[in-house]
Amino acid sequence: MADQAAPQTALLAGVPGRSRAWMIWLAATAALALVAPHLLASGFGISLLNRMAIAIVFALSFNMLLGQGGMLDFGHAVFFGLGGFATMHLLKLADAGIFLPVPLLPLAGALGGLVSAVPAGWVATRREGTSFAMVTLGIAELAVAFVVMLPQWFGGEEGVSGDRSAEPALFGFDFGAALQIYYVIAAWALLAAVLMWAITRTPLGRLTNAVRDNPLRVDFLGYDPARIRFLCFALAGLFAGVAGGMQALNDEIVTVSNIGSAASGAVLLMTYIGGVGTFWGPVLGAIVVTLLQMALGTLTDAWQLYSGLLFVFMVLWAPGGLSGIILSHAPLLRAGLGHRLLARYLAVVPAALLTLAGLIGLAEMAYRLQAVRSGGAPGRLFGFAVMPTDPVAWVAPTLLLLGGLLALRSLAPRARAAWQEAHTLLARGTPR
Amino acid sequence: MTENTALALEDLHKSFGATAIIRGVSLDIRAGSCHAIIGPNGAGKSTLFHLITGRLKLDRGRIRLAGHDITGLSPHRVFRHGLARSFQVTSLFPRLSVFENLRVAAMWQARCGHAYWRSVAGYPGLHGRVLDMLENLHLTPRRNVPAAALAYAEQRTLEIGLALIGGAHTILLDEPTAGMSRAETERAVALLRRLAGGRTLVLIEHDLSVVFDLADTISVLAEGQVIASGSPQTVRGDAAVRAAYLGTAAEDLA
Ligand SMILES: Nc1ncnc2c1ncn2[C@@H]1O[C@H](COP(=O)(O)OP(=O)(O)OP(=O)(O)O)[C@@H](O)[C@H]1O
Ligand SMILES: [Mg+2]
Repeated sequence: MADQAAPQTALLAGVPGRSRAWMIWLAATAALALVAPHLLASGFGISLLNRMAIAIVFALSFNMLLGQGGMLDFGHAVFFGLGGFATMHLLKLADAGIFLPVPLLPLAGALGGLVSAVPAGWVATRREGTSFAMVTLGIAELAVAFVVMLPQWFGGEEGVSGDRSAEPALFGFDFGAALQIYYVIAAWALLAAVLMWAITRTPLGRLTNAVRDNPLRVDFLGYDPARIRFLCFALAGLFAGVAGGMQALNDEIVTVSNIGSAASGAVLLMTYIGGVGTFWGPVLGAIVVTLLQMALGTLTDAWQLYSGLLFVFMVLWAPGGLSGIILSHAPLLRAGLGHRLLARYLAVVPAALLTLAGLIGLAEMAYRLQAVRSGGAPGRLFGFAVMPTDPVAWVAPTLLLLGGLLALRSLAPRARAAWQEAHTLLARGTPR
Repeated sequence: MTENTALALEDLHKSFGATAIIRGVSLDIRAGSCHAIIGPNGAGKSTLFHLITGRLKLDRGRIRLAGHDITGLSPHRVFRHGLARSFQVTSLFPRLSVFENLRVAAMWQARCGHAYWRSVAGYPGLHGRVLDMLENLHLTPRRNVPAAALAYAEQRTLEIGLALIGGAHTILLDEPTAGMSRAETERAVALLRRLAGGRTLVLIEHDLSVVFDLADTISVLAEGQVIASGSPQTVRGDAAVRAAYLGTAAEDLA
């Protein structure tokens, strides 16, 4: 039993040893960041990369709380948004002629995030678990009310906007061009990620994990768990502020929606989908969800529904997120047990595709019914004309969905059993 | 209270609602001694530890640790005055490795503070201290296993290790051998004997062979009061103790 628990529970266990691997990772990531915009040489591609970089920093800062510290912050966008406003105000000063180097402005975001997280954390971190989550929800509501109440600072409905093109140009760069701001944003993302990773290896980082696991025991080892939560919260706010600052530079506008509950929900969603059990899980989640959002956003109005479905699916069937799935398979593949899984896994694919097709069909019909009712055209789906007003047209996707679900019901448990068998073999050390 | 007192309890009282659980406990625990606290189930032994370590608030009374008044301090402050404890119900960091469990427990002593700008690997002595404790606990081969995946006796051993590694001069152990087999108990006793070295141990223990093996002073707690206290011989012969222990334990005591 203990052996079966191991793949899940060992995720955040201290792994000394692999001490220099991080340098290789860092170099590879930096190289990738350097060439990526040239591989995707399009405005859309670069804007996608910028969004990913921002989301990565935001999700990592969120996971400092959720994954590392066991704190579910329902208002994390508050620090993101306020960091964004702080950056935007400095950008406006720069526009007004005061010399402020644009690439350094996310520092103002860091300060904005930190300054807002200190009072919020002071209140919230006195509690843990559900009470903590509830307090952060209250703080988020308060922050929105505050921002709406002070239009002279936060610009009311329209928000605050500025122009990032530096005047005069700095060493020949004015940062107006997409590629130039991409490098600024990528550099910040890399720096912030490295710093957040480094923090996990400090005394505070380890104590944060300890407080997540057992705050009571920490108290009997000389540390005040509330103080550790507070410091972690303040730092997480700081990095969320950096992400907000990056976004302010990218979008050249910050509005109240950037601090609202939808933004807080989005970061929770990506972090969870990526997996809270590892440092890099949220990076994966940020990349995948941003990709889905931007790709689906151009294809369908229903992308929120799809990311919601993905989230529910992950919570129910893969609570370790994408990184959890990877981690629970990596040792099997390394031990050469992959072939035991392949057939059973492949068998699930058609059933999953059927289910998905059914779901998409129903979702798109529903969305387009709306469009037709307000006088729009229903358009096409998978090459078929969509006729949402015709009840018969609903039959096909419904059948697909039901058939897919039925098939999944018998095939998915078999895949799962294969996975479990492989782990049992691995634990016993049986070769092949 | 003399110079030589590690822990002085003065007239401690605690009630839960209307039920008085600790009813005027006074004890002087000599520095460097191994002081066992025995008594029937529900006598209030664990509650007494909770009061001393700041987990529960006293209704009345005073506690001094090596001369410092620690009455009413929160657990982490009590720890900083040099008092560590283990728990009757194992209380570890389940997702952290054995190594990391011990390292967290040794951080305060290594003056790590709340540093977030310095690698935890860079603290002089911390790493070596953890490795030594792993050796002493015979947990070196299990150092990278999450605490949740340890066998029961290993978890109990780690529980003791967490109390011992922090450099406290006074250590409270709440039934350290509970649930261990004969052989495991003997190993734990040897471990305590080896690592106690000059420190004050206060031990709650039901296993009387462990008590007579380790303790130089025994206090008997029954219904929230100390009914006898003294050397093992004195306590063994005490009539009140025999009365409190009527039943199976009485034979062990004889
Ligand atoms: N938080 C609490 N609220 C109410 N009653 C409590 C609480 N904690 C302990 N008690 C009661 O106080 C009494 C003493 O409990 P305690 O755990 O101190 O006993 P103990 O001597 O350690 O017993 P054991 O040998 O079984 O561990 C018990 O009757 C218990 O039910
Ligand atoms: Mg007890």
